[in-house]
Amino acid sequence: MKTVMKTFAAGMLGVYALVNVTQPTYADDEGLTIQGPPKIAMLYISPRNDGGWTQAFDEARQKLEVQLGQKIQFVENVPESASAIRPVVERLIQRGSNIIIGTAFGYSDTFKDLAAKYPHVAFLNGSGTTNSKNLLSFYGRTYESQYLCGMAAGAVSKTGKLGFVAANPFGQVNWTINAYELGAQQINPKATVTVIYTGAWNDPIKERAATMALIDQGADVIGQHVDSPTPQIVAQERGVYGTGYHRDMREFAPKATVCSSVWVWDRFLAVELKKIMAGHWKPLPQGALLSMQQGGTDIACCSSAVPPADVTKIMAMRTELMEGKKQIYEGPMSDGKGVVQIPVGAVLPDDKLWKMEWFVKGVITQQ
Amino acid sequence: MEIISSWVGNIPDLAVPFALAALGLIVTERAGVLALGAEGLMLVGALFGVGGYLLFDSTGIALLLAMLAASGVSILFAVMVLVLRINQVIAGLALVFFCQGLTALLGILFGWASHPVSGFEAWTLWPLSELPIVGRLFIQNPVVYLTPLIFFAVAIYLNHSMSGLKLRAVGENPQAADAAGIPVLTYRFAAILAGAALIGLAGAYISVLSTKMWIEDMTGGRGWIAVALVIFARWSPWRAFAGAILFGSIEALIPQLAAAGVRLPQYFVFMTPYVVTLAVMIWVALPKRDQNKPDQKNQPDALGEPFIREERR
Repeated sequence: MKTVMKTFAAGMLGVYALVNVTQPTYADDEGLTIQGPPKIAMLYISPRNDGGWTQAFDEARQKLEVQLGQKIQFVENVPESASAIRPVVERLIQRGSNIIIGTAFGYSDTFKDLAAKYPHVAFLNGSGTTNSKNLLSFYGRTYESQYLCGMAAGAVSKTGKLGFVAANPFGQVNWTINAYELGAQQINPKATVTVIYTGAWNDPIKERAATMALIDQGADVIGQHVDSPTPQIVAQERGVYGTGYHRDMREFAPKATVCSSVWVWDRFLAVELKKIMAGHWKPLPQGALLSMQQGGTDIACCSSAVPPADVTKIMAMRTELMEGKKQIYEGPMSDGKGVVQIPVGAVLPDDKLWKMEWFVKGVITQQ
Repeated sequence: MEIISSWVGNIPDLAVPFALAALGLIVTERAGVLALGAEGLMLVGALFGVGGYLLFDSTGIALLLAMLAASGVSILFAVMVLVLRINQVIAGLALVFFCQGLTALLGILFGWASHPVSGFEAWTLWPLSELPIVGRLFIQNPVVYLTPLIFFAVAIYLNHSMSGLKLRAVGENPQAADAAGIPVLTYRFAAILAGAALIGLAGAYISVLSTKMWIEDMTGGRGWIAVALVIFARWSPWRAFAGAILFGSIEALIPQLAAAGVRLPQYFVFMTPYVVTLAVMIWVALPKRDQNKPDQKNQPDALGEPFIREERR
């Protein structure tokens, strides 16, 4: 009988322990504390050597492994569909991962569901749009780094006509275009930016045709917000300059690329991961839109084509941005038609940034 | 004037892949094999073109390797549709998916992705290159000049050679061809391989000579447009050539208008190539043509039908 009681008691204890484990440990005021030793895993949307977006995450992963002193697992080529994401994440969690980092817009909804299903696991998602008590989406204020690239473009342009190859007319693309023009105006007040949207994030054929057309029309510096380095390669072929995106594109066009907007996710993730590990993690309900000061983006600048005086100006501006002293979208600011978009003394709020559909004077688009 | 001149100068780069892929499809389909796999074979050509260049440092060898690779993969398709007599539509679609996965995987395994290659230098055909407006048509890479010659050769072969007549006979009425002693399956097998080689060359043109690098899924649906082009051309090489120039012109015009600051609704511009494809299909479908005149015929009679000896139709 005693043994039966003992077994029963042990069983009850086991049930109790189980309940304890599965019970969400966050409360509204307490934040999330992950259970057990922290184990991080990343999901990549494309191969780790894709030369752009994912490779930047993989470089961050390697730095984080050193800084945090632990291995970080990763899974490559996870497509943006729930049926692909779920099994990967669930297997990682079963094997003990309790911090999951995604890298794609298309993971947003599935991550939200998974975060609700696994409330004791911390989720992070780069370029995602969903947030919850244990899910934080993050992205960079790419307009800051592209502003600096615009300055470099203005500095090396002889004609004052800059070209820009962009993917789709979305807010986060349009904000880089405006910033590029504003940056160029810092060096050359008469600079203009002519934009071609290709309608695709990664279509080297359209990017080549667009870059050729811009150069044919007199553009002598080509900026870009598309994934492939094609615009830089064409710029080098045609003997003009360019500014890159995602990573330092001097790798592809050492003569042409004068500056690149690059991702530095490790600077943000190192801080955020330590917060999660410390416990009582409370992700921002609106997600993290990272300024250069917070990590996320930076520049690889400048090539020797940029005059030293301008390099000094660019680096001084970079310092201001790094210290959080400079706002790019600060009033008063009007669009090309003269309509006031940001009143005096105001800074454009994030929701309006995401919906940006206006362009400053000097931007030439089909919109 | 300036904009027209640069527009015209950019057309060949965009038209040649359509033209070569459509020609490859015509060769295969004239033998009665429905080839929907162009998109996949173009990807194989594009990948192995870049791979060949990175391995052998020669553009010529790169293009040859691309053609061989596309032909090699098409053997799989040939076995499926000729030997196993699998439905040609399904086999063609399966080939596309297979090639998309295969090229993505091999591109990573071999480390060929995102590596720039240098391609051919442009050849300047002086004094034609000095002509106003069309001058830039004569500052192109050698394959552009070669393309009309390839078309000429294939058109002569199909219409004026004994072997070409036999190939078409196989596509029109394989039973009659068989009775006349033509080896039907051999002809179809050869047509699939030869067509695949041309489609592979089209893919390699994109990766080695135009964009000068390999990126996963880089053909972006151009193989499908080539399939539509063949229907538009009613399986005639020269009409396909004209159609390819039409599509190339549209693709080249869009960025030129944007660069010149012409205001057009963005999303309408994005869809123009597909609208034109649809319009062309409707135009082809509308008139009731006299199917007995060879010039008016819509498609090879035995297109898509497996050949089984002694089967009554």
